[in-house]
Amino acid sequence: MVNPTNDIIRPINELVNVHFHRDWCAELALRSSRNGPWDHWELARLAIEAVESRLVHSFDQLQCLPHLSQLEPMPHQIDTAKRVLYEMRGRAILADEVGLGKTIEAGLILKEYMIRGLVRKVLILVPASLVLQWVRELNQKFGINATAQKKEYMWTQVDIVIASMDTAKRDPHKSIVLSQEYDMLIIDEAHKLKNSKTSNYIFVNQIRKKYCLLLTATPVQNDLGELYNLITMLKPGQLGGQGQFQSDYVVDKRLPKNEELLQQELSKVMIRNRRSDGGIAYTHRHVRNIPLSLSLEEQALYQGVTDFVRGRYRDASEDAGSMLSLVTLQREVCSSRDAVFLTLVNLFKKMDEQSPYRTQIWGLISLIKQITANTKAEKAMELILGFDPKEKVIVFTEYRATQEYLMKFFKDHGLAAVSYRGGMNRGKKDWMMDLFRNRAQIMVATEAGGEGINLQFCHNMINFDLPWNPMRVEQRIGRVHRLGQDSDVFIYNLCTLGTIEEHIVSLLHEKINMFELVIGDLDTILEQMEEQSTLESRLQKIILESRSDDEIREHLHTIGTAFQNIRTTIAHSPVVPDLRTSIQPPPVYRESEVHP
Amino acid sequence: MNQDQVKDFCMRYLIATDCQIIEKNPAFVKVKLSPQADKDLTGRSYYWSFVERTGAEPETMSFVFVFDPESRKPPEPLGRGTTQGRGPLVVPPSTHEPLIKGDSILERYFGVTPMVAQPGRMIEETLSFGCRRLDQMFAATQSKGSYLQLFEEAPPIQRGSGVSHSYTTWLGVNYKVEYTCDMKREELHSLGICMSTGEIVSHFQQHMCERVLSPRMPAHCQLRDVISLERAVQQLEIHLEKLLQQADYDWARSAQARMNEEITRIHSYYGDLIRTLEAEQKEEMQAQYVRRQQEIEWQYRPRVDVQVMNCGWFHLLTDTLPTVPRSFVNMMQKNNSF
Repeated sequence: MVNPTNDIIRPINELVNVHFHRDWCAELALRSSRNGPWDHWELARLAIEAVESRLVHSFDQLQCLPHLSQLEPMPHQIDTAKRVLYEMRGRAILADEVGLGKTIEAGLILKEYMIRGLVRKVLILVPASLVLQWVRELNQKFGINATAQKKEYMWTQVDIVIASMDTAKRDPHKSIVLSQEYDMLIIDEAHKLKNSKTSNYIFVNQIRKKYCLLLTATPVQNDLGELYNLITMLKPGQLGGQGQFQSDYVVDKRLPKNEELLQQELSKVMIRNRRSDGGIAYTHRHVRNIPLSLSLEEQALYQGVTDFVRGRYRDASEDAGSMLSLVTLQREVCSSRDAVFLTLVNLFKKMDEQSPYRTQIWGLISLIKQITANTKAEKAMELILGFDPKEKVIVFTEYRATQEYLMKFFKDHGLAAVSYRGGMNRGKKDWMMDLFRNRAQIMVATEAGGEGINLQFCHNMINFDLPWNPMRVEQRIGRVHRLGQDSDVFIYNLCTLGTIEEHIVSLLHEKINMFELVIGDLDTILEQMEEQSTLESRLQKIILESRSDDEIREHLHTIGTAFQNIRTTIAHSPVVPDLRTSIQPPPVYRESEVHP
Repeated sequence: MNQDQVKDFCMRYLIATDCQIIEKNPAFVKVKLSPQADKDLTGRSYYWSFVERTGAEPETMSFVFVFDPESRKPPEPLGRGTTQGRGPLVVPPSTHEPLIKGDSILERYFGVTPMVAQPGRMIEETLSFGCRRLDQMFAATQSKGSYLQLFEEAPPIQRGSGVSHSYTTWLGVNYKVEYTCDMKREELHSLGICMSTGEIVSHFQQHMCERVLSPRMPAHCQLRDVISLERAVQQLEIHLEKLLQQADYDWARSAQARMNEEITRIHSYYGDLIRTLEAEQKEEMQAQYVRRQQEIEWQYRPRVDVQVMNCGWFHLLTDTLPTVPRSFVNMMQKNNSF
């Protein structure tokens, strides 16, 4: 009788052993002695056909592409995957600029290893807010059965687990993760591992892994040492020891020496695709500010609301912090009377019945009643009617009430519009997107963040009002002006004169040059600017505390200058040309009409 | 596999597992699964264990497997306004995941909608190479088509002629050979060994596909083996090993070189580092060094793995097989004629 457990391992030549797996012998002998059960001949034939169809015939030919019916990767993504597989041997830093598809590249590499049977157990660590997005992308685009970690048993029972770093590094998860071996470890936003003393770094460094991908758009933020730490995690010694690295490559923490050699060493472990590399085609972006004068009634309301806000701020001087949100009222007047009405009503309800402000609010509401037309909405419609009816337009607003008003407004004027907002569930969002693509000319959206809203088929964007958080402005633009967009993109900013909106548009457009920045730059700049408080809350404070327009202008000028300074520092600071965040903006034709 | 092959595979699988084909046309097939196929494809292990324990009447699921998605595009929704929130959702036929709209709470929790068992519901899916459903079918054929016993069908014997067919037993084994380092290449070797003469033939699977085989043991059938299973397995392995020795091993040489380079690199890195450390830190760093070494071996060490995909007893009416299967000869003749 064959001894079933004895697999045979013996050298086939001086290089390799051959391993004959023998588990099948025992089963065959058992079934023979019991005279069955025997399997189906047709199924056995199908099994062999299935094996043949998936057989990997060559070491170095990408197998995964025929498996991906849901995805057509861009050439630079395929090239990156090949380099990681065949040159870097599965351990690499993917450092593409934002928006070039690092996730796609990681997915391609993972899929390829899985098809080849080299990877089964995978751990993917990403920021908590991106967990579900990763799950969705891997499942839908790559057919990879990835699961978000929800229960403790999943660490061991599920092959491909996606979790947040913060969860994974905490006990009891930590000890489970560290007790396992992962065929592949993927870490998104890996620049968070730049400091080798942090708990994140120490934790990740202890995970046992075969292949490893680190994804980051900003491999160097401040210090060459950060890059050294990342690479050491991947391939210890690639840049020598710490001391050797310092003496070989570093003059100052931001200034490298022996650049060429450093470059060469880096190219063995890191790939950075940049927009400016060419081959990655970006279309032009045309930005136009549309200045508008409020109607007399709207002006009266704006003035009334401004007085109200200032008054309340004066009265509540000891508790100024809680007043910041009052600025919202002023912003809302610039959007629509519906938006400000809703907020006032809520404010009213919360107030004490005896409060003197209640009468003031009544006064404002009577001003609202005077307003019969929305200047911005009229202008937006005028713009849209000027387009070819086949040209899609997305209109962004910050406020639900404005969104609803616009939906009704467009409908009353016979224009087909769909709405889109954050609170909708996934299915509804998909459906809205479908309707926009196939049936409606206009989409009115309150949300630009989040994935899934990719509007390459739309070339026109109207900012009905602007967020004060520059990242959200960037997200809006990114929906339309992105990889795969094949036409020029037109962006229209509606801007009411003589209001705080005018100041903000001027800051974002003129001083910060928001609309010309390369995606990815902003991230880095804001990270440095917002160390104490967010830009948005600083703006609110300025608006609230300034006593005159000149004072506002002065403060905003300071912020604009600070922004430009950081931008210049970043442009000239770290390192090696290849690593530096590209500062070249995409070509922009400006037709600014904002008055000085 | 192209779409025609996918379709062929799927249809043969459905028929082999006794599924009930409701409607069939070139672009799609509408099918009610058999219990076996339901267990293979729908992942409802809990439901099936419930059925088996309670003896309840099982309700299998139905699918529309689409081979040509172009021809199954839903008609444009008519008579519906473009404003939000009205009417049922228009769902384009989705490929990998059956998107069950309305169950979005699940999707918000899991990221994707897990397939929810709803007997009686018709799930429509596009089948293409690489999609999960087809992979499930592949896996099912693998696990339900592993061990065989088959008899070659004999021409009918005239009653009372006193003649009986004599069968020769062959052991057929389909080996998958994996040449592995940090990358991988695979080969499929189908070998058969005659259990009375010890003769070994290649392309055994193709040979068998050309014969008419049945799982039923014919009457008057006498079987006797000369060679033991153990010996047969050894002979097959020796034969296969000779084939493997003729392969090209440059890949292994360069993988070995890569591995040595990496080992040297971390040796000098950790060597320097550990020298500078205090005693208690030394230990921790030493452990890290060992871990890295293991990872590098794991990643690069070249090796050859031989696994058996399926195997079985083939009782044939012959003890010799031509070296090359007929289908190969036909193919070559066809090519030559051009």
